[in-house]
Amino acid sequence: MKKQDPSWNRRHFLQSSFIGAGAAIASTSETAVAVVPEAREPEVTVEFDVLVVGGGTAGTVAAIQAGLLGAKTLLLERNSQLGGTMTTGGVAFPGLFDAWGKQIIAGIGWELVKESVQLDEGVQPNFAKVPKRHWENQVYINQFLYAILCEEKCAAAGVEIAYYEFPQAVTRVEQGWQVDCVGFGTKRRILCRQIIDCTGGAEVVGLLGYARLREEERQPGSFLYMLGEAHEPGRNQIHRLYVHGADSTNSRTATQANLAGRKSILEKVRHEKKRLMHLQPETGFRESFRIEGETMVTVNDYTTGRFFEDAISYAFYPVDLHTREGVKPAPLKPGVVPTIPLRALIPKGSRDLIVAGRCVSSDRLANSGLRVQASCMGMGQAAGVAAALAAKAGTTPLEVPLIEIHDRLREHGQIVPVKA
Amino acid sequence: MSQRFVTLLTATSFLVLSVTGVIAFIRPFSLQVVGLHALVGFAFVALVAFHVAASSRAMTRHLRSPTLWTVLGLTALITAILWWQPRPVKAILGLSGNLGPALDRFEVGETGLVYRYSPDPAYKLVLEIRTGSSYDPENPPRLAIWLENQSHYHIKTLLEPEGDDSEEMLPYRAAKFAGWKTALADAKKRDVDLDSLAHAISSPTENSSFDPADYILPQKSESSMPYRLLIEINQPQDPSPKTADQPSLVYQVEIDNFDPRTFQLLDLVGYPVKEESSDGKTEWSLFFADEQFDSALDLIDSALLTIERKAGDE
Repeated sequence: MKKQDPSWNRRHFLQSSFIGAGAAIASTSETAVAVVPEAREPEVTVEFDVLVVGGGTAGTVAAIQAGLLGAKTLLLERNSQLGGTMTTGGVAFPGLFDAWGKQIIAGIGWELVKESVQLDEGVQPNFAKVPKRHWENQVYINQFLYAILCEEKCAAAGVEIAYYEFPQAVTRVEQGWQVDCVGFGTKRRILCRQIIDCTGGAEVVGLLGYARLREEERQPGSFLYMLGEAHEPGRNQIHRLYVHGADSTNSRTATQANLAGRKSILEKVRHEKKRLMHLQPETGFRESFRIEGETMVTVNDYTTGRFFEDAISYAFYPVDLHTREGVKPAPLKPGVVPTIPLRALIPKGSRDLIVAGRCVSSDRLANSGLRVQASCMGMGQAAGVAAALAAKAGTTPLEVPLIEIHDRLREHGQIVPVKA
Repeated sequence: MSQRFVTLLTATSFLVLSVTGVIAFIRPFSLQVVGLHALVGFAFVALVAFHVAASSRAMTRHLRSPTLWTVLGLTALITAILWWQPRPVKAILGLSGNLGPALDRFEVGETGLVYRYSPDPAYKLVLEIRTGSSYDPENPPRLAIWLENQSHYHIKTLLEPEGDDSEEMLPYRAAKFAGWKTALADAKKRDVDLDSLAHAISSPTENSSFDPADYILPQKSESSMPYRLLIEINQPQDPSPKTADQPSLVYQVEIDNFDPRTFQLLDLVGYPVKEESSDGKTEWSLFFADEQFDSALDLIDSALLTIERKAGDE
């Protein structure tokens, strides 16, 4: 005869009790499914003034700005958190907000960064100090806090967030756009007046068939991880490895990049025999599509600090093209601070559509400097203003008087470029 | 009596010439040393003329001696070789702490200061510093000019500051120079081949070489070896409304033979501040010039660097 486990009776009792209690709930659910045998995914139709596609570095700021200006705004993000490369990619050291001893990018993005550092009791760089290397003035943030703060600010601005969703089709309708999106268990039809494409690779622009540019070979992406030592968010440097050929053009290429990155990290773990202490969920991509805009920022514009008459934001970073051999940043000459024109955010020939982020209309070398996070935040805020004002006035972002865009940007703390 | 006097004076002048010549070879450029050497050289020429005149009879006898012609021939040969500067001679001159195989000159004119440096016939560097409204020629500011590599290491002093207070007045340059000396000493202590200092005391990249020739006259022009020319300037005891004494100011320009520019203006970078790093080491950092500066900003009106390069001239 088998000897009974003395603990069995109590455990069995508890398990039985939970099963018993859960059975009612389970049976209710099963019954509900059973009575709708041809259940379909719920279809939701919603109306918004502004739809921001992509809740990354630029998109989050764009959505908050549009919301703060009173536009009914929906922020669509295919991942599970806001922040993009700063959070999901783990590049939690945004820059550059300053140039030559002066702040050049502020506003919503800067306030988010500042608050996340303060809340985390972190330290900002001493911006009065002349950096020997450009990255010395990047701000180390706690990526997890930043993601939550983004959600808080969106809520405060009245921005609705939709995670796990992405657009499948975009159609022109009388009032603006009809955007059909899917997420798991969700089919959503969005009717909106303005779209801000902050997908990084200008995916909405691509769906609409506007011209996009892409290099034959993309810059390597970076997979961030920590091997052998604890990662302290907002404090220490994180290990990173290049994922050559990383391409965020579509889900298939992005999958390949992530598989390649993780495989390399596994090899490192086996080779170095150290514990894997931290791993970001995906590759940080540097490059995919850029739009062909109403104007294009060239490397000459960028390195000479050309002042565009329709400048909406400053940018500052070396020309920073990563290759298989690594990167050799070409710092900007003293005093040079590039500007970003509004027209570089408008896909050529489009209406009611604006982009922000690394897909800004620019040549490859200019883009290697423009793609960084502070500049993307600057673009995002400007796009948010332009789209919100356009939605309100029933016009397109390029027809919104520039002075109004500048005034709203200043009201929300952004630094507007002025001619030297 | 006068002949003995001239002979002795010639000998002592020769001694001064020899000592200053050796110092000028070893030490970085100094107007005092080079000036002394040049002026005593003129006196030496005059004394030799006196000496020859006073010993004309003996000299006439020498004219008939084949030894004289052998000596003259040998002197001409040595002069020609040194003038032509074949590789071994250049290598010896390269050991100099002053000019290397260079000609450099520092002049003070009405409009400012001109520094010329020509380490090779194919390379002429001229730095023209136009003085500003605060510059007082009667009480000139302390000034140093040096080169740094991309890793911010001192690689060569072009103009050493004058005066006993130069370390205090120009602390940034002094710290850089001291760091360079320490790095050299460390490398020597570790018995590292000084020819490979680039790999020994910095990172193993070309861009961190400590050999000035790698930057100024790179062997491989197809690779980029940018470096910086820096000026540190400070007027002693120059108060401003915000401070009792304005600190020194540092100007710089980046030079890249891969992307050659003939004319480049130096830019104001900032002022040095001594800081303690997290590991307890003290280091000098530059800070952007702030409101404490007043007249110091007008010591220099402009600093223009001109580099003339002759392609393919060996």
